[in-house]
Amino acid sequence: MRAAARFVGVRLAGAVVVLWAVATLIFFAIRLVPGDPAQAILGGPGSDASKASLDLVRREYGLDKPLVVQYAVQLGRLATGDLGTSYSLKQSVASVLAAQVPPTLELAALSLIVAWLLAAGLAWWSSRSGRVAGAVGNALEVIASAVPHFLLASILIVVFSTQLNLLPPVSTGTAAGLVLPVVTLAIPVAGFLGQVTRDSLLDASAAPFALSARARGESANGVFARHLLRHAALPGLALSGWAFGSLLSGAVVVESVFARPGLGRTLLAAVTVRDVPLVTGVALVSALAYVVVVVLGDVAERALDPRGRAA
Amino acid sequence: MRTRLLPLVALAAASALVLAGCTSGGGTATDDASATPVRGGTLTYATGDAEPTCLDPHVGGNYPQALVASQYLEELVSKDSHGDIIPWLATSWKQSDDGLSWTFTLKKGVKFTDGTPFDAAAVVANMNAVQDPKTLSSTGYLALGKVKKTVAVDTDTVRFELSQPDSDLLDSLTQPWLAIESPTALKRPMATNCVSPVGTGPFEVTKWVKQSAITMVRNPHYTSPVQDAAHTGEAYLSKIVWRFIPDSASRYAALQSGDVQVTDNAQPDELVAAAKGQTIKAIDAPRPGASDRIELNSSQAPFDDERVRQAFITGVDVNAGIKTLFFGTAKRSYSLLSSVEQDSYSDKALFTVNTAKAEKLLDAAGWSQKNSQGYRVKDGKQLTVRFPVSTNQSIPAERALFEQIQEQAKKLGFDVEISQLDLSSWYTALAKHQYELVDAPYTKVGPGVLDILYDSSGITPAPSGYFANNAQVDIPSLDATLRKAGQESDPSTRQDLYDQAQKTILEGYYVLPLYDQQNHFLYRTTVHGLRAFPSVSTPSLYDVWLSK
Repeated sequence: MRAAARFVGVRLAGAVVVLWAVATLIFFAIRLVPGDPAQAILGGPGSDASKASLDLVRREYGLDKPLVVQYAVQLGRLATGDLGTSYSLKQSVASVLAAQVPPTLELAALSLIVAWLLAAGLAWWSSRSGRVAGAVGNALEVIASAVPHFLLASILIVVFSTQLNLLPPVSTGTAAGLVLPVVTLAIPVAGFLGQVTRDSLLDASAAPFALSARARGESANGVFARHLLRHAALPGLALSGWAFGSLLSGAVVVESVFARPGLGRTLLAAVTVRDVPLVTGVALVSALAYVVVVVLGDVAERALDPRGRAA
Repeated sequence: MRTRLLPLVALAAASALVLAGCTSGGGTATDDASATPVRGGTLTYATGDAEPTCLDPHVGGNYPQALVASQYLEELVSKDSHGDIIPWLATSWKQSDDGLSWTFTLKKGVKFTDGTPFDAAAVVANMNAVQDPKTLSSTGYLALGKVKKTVAVDTDTVRFELSQPDSDLLDSLTQPWLAIESPTALKRPMATNCVSPVGTGPFEVTKWVKQSAITMVRNPHYTSPVQDAAHTGEAYLSKIVWRFIPDSASRYAALQSGDVQVTDNAQPDELVAAAKGQTIKAIDAPRPGASDRIELNSSQAPFDDERVRQAFITGVDVNAGIKTLFFGTAKRSYSLLSSVEQDSYSDKALFTVNTAKAEKLLDAAGWSQKNSQGYRVKDGKQLTVRFPVSTNQSIPAERALFEQIQEQAKKLGFDVEISQLDLSSWYTALAKHQYELVDAPYTKVGPGVLDILYDSSGITPAPSGYFANNAQVDIPSLDATLRKAGQESDPSTRQDLYDQAQKTILEGYYVLPLYDQQNHFLYRTTVHGLRAFPSVSTPSLYDVWLSK
């Protein structure tokens, strides 16, 4: 128990450091890129702001103060849990996030599940179907992990919406509208998870415990399900945090292509207009989700692998 | 940074989609103009423009706001398809003899959707709001630059008092950025008014789910259609769902599948595909104001030398590129103004391509040597021109055109450095004068846009660093002509003055006009009665009805 408490405590401290680093990085990165946020707040194609409006905006948003002061103010606010007000949407960042987090979480979580199913399915098929199947599986995984979200989404839309007329090309709020975005996000992650899983699957199937299970007369499927998968899933689980991060970044593209609301699209729009509080808010929430998933992955790994628990 | 691959990839993808579009079958639909309009139904409109940050176009004032506001807000005056000013919320108007005041008589019995009556006090409240710095208005604020104050003479009469005559005032008042909102609603906090603006229009905003859609329902008490509307009374549609679909391929796919009925920001390949099919039609509604053009920064080397400007403008052939990249959907312009502007002046002869002459001009300007890379040099300096491109304001086909221009200019010995930037970085590059070429959109009704873009006062940057005179044209006689035109109330004298001004600018080789600002709508043939308002070419859904 004490080991578990220490484990959680260390993780929590780590999470705070990560969040602080993210907030700092975002703040300065956004300011280093040329561009006047006041102009961005008021501007837009074909309009130029009056001096009075600009001055007002600078004062109102504290943009007239030195950068270090702005940073300190922002950090102080964040420390008290105040995410501030979005420059562009003119509403609190917390309320924007409250509306935009659920659709993205839904997308990312479903995609992670589908990715695991795809990866495990492919591994199972290729591991028991001989060398050619292994090569085909490997090739599929390499292609899947390398294909850009944008291209994949376009292909899926052309095939399943335009040609076959099976699924809506844009999200419609229904389950059918969720299929293409989820698959788009899941395929690259499945490819990556599949590659890692197969390597350890091959190691495991040559290991003594697998040989002995087979020698005891267990079926190939039984050995796969009861012994090999558990072993092979370990490196994949450790990578689930990474996978989740990749899903969040993929959401930027997928949410735009499939016209879904969510964090990714919010981030894209916020970056374009230099909306510092909103960008920071999205980044912090993403970082937090990432940390949580990594910890959950570690917990699952400890549950599956008894060797870690002793340490 | 030089980028060549991206536009090519985008173009390849676009071409692939054209092919896909051609092979997909279409259903059948009839478009019978004499059919009886059907009441009711929900129309889903998918916009490819940005999602507005505020639905009140007084705040800020950009095109995405104008697009959607046209459904729930109305202006004092409008324009008909000939470009003439027609009544809307104002029934008549009169300019004083000294040109320093305009008196408008207002339509009676009109109410905002919150029940507030529309009257002179409402107009005054709106103009005051736009002119109040706290409203953060940019486009509307600029358009009221010569308005000293607005006075309610009586309930139905309002007077605009000017600091100097403004021949552009009526044009300005046709724009959605100066639409009239409920004064009661305007008193609410800005954040509230931004999500639920209240107008006199045929629809009212009921819900806005960010990153997703705005829902508008029919205004059952509607009484104020614009003079050239096709019917009176309530709108036919009972509901509009205004969706934000930024990706053009998804937008087109959604239109094909029938998930949406109308889209904007149609791309050239989609227009071609639509023309071949039976289910989708297109409306070409170029934006008013300036044409889409490349401006040459005349304030610094090498384009401070007119010979170098002329060499660039007459040495590159843009027509072939426009034809191939836009598949014939964009017509070459030889004018500074949009073809929908009555005062547009063009001179095709100035843009006849003559590379031999261009080479001679460059030699004469001292750029006679070439280095090992084939670029011209003078005093050890390479003939490099920077071309920042705003990716937020330019479509892939246009960026591919810029790449072609880059290739052609290379043959003349120009090193064109294209950098693709987001909007904020692009503004900054302009503000720091880090450009020799630039393509900047400007939408404004009327030839008065010339005053903004080419008067030398437009060289002095605003506090934000933004300035409108990107070509940095600085000719005192031109300034005088533009100012005279801006105060001239006689239409034909005004047109002469603006023609003269345009001639001066074109003959000075400051600008390479490309085409009208592209503004195409696509709609399914089940949609009837769709048109674009002639003022700033935003869609009007008031007369629209849906057949099965």
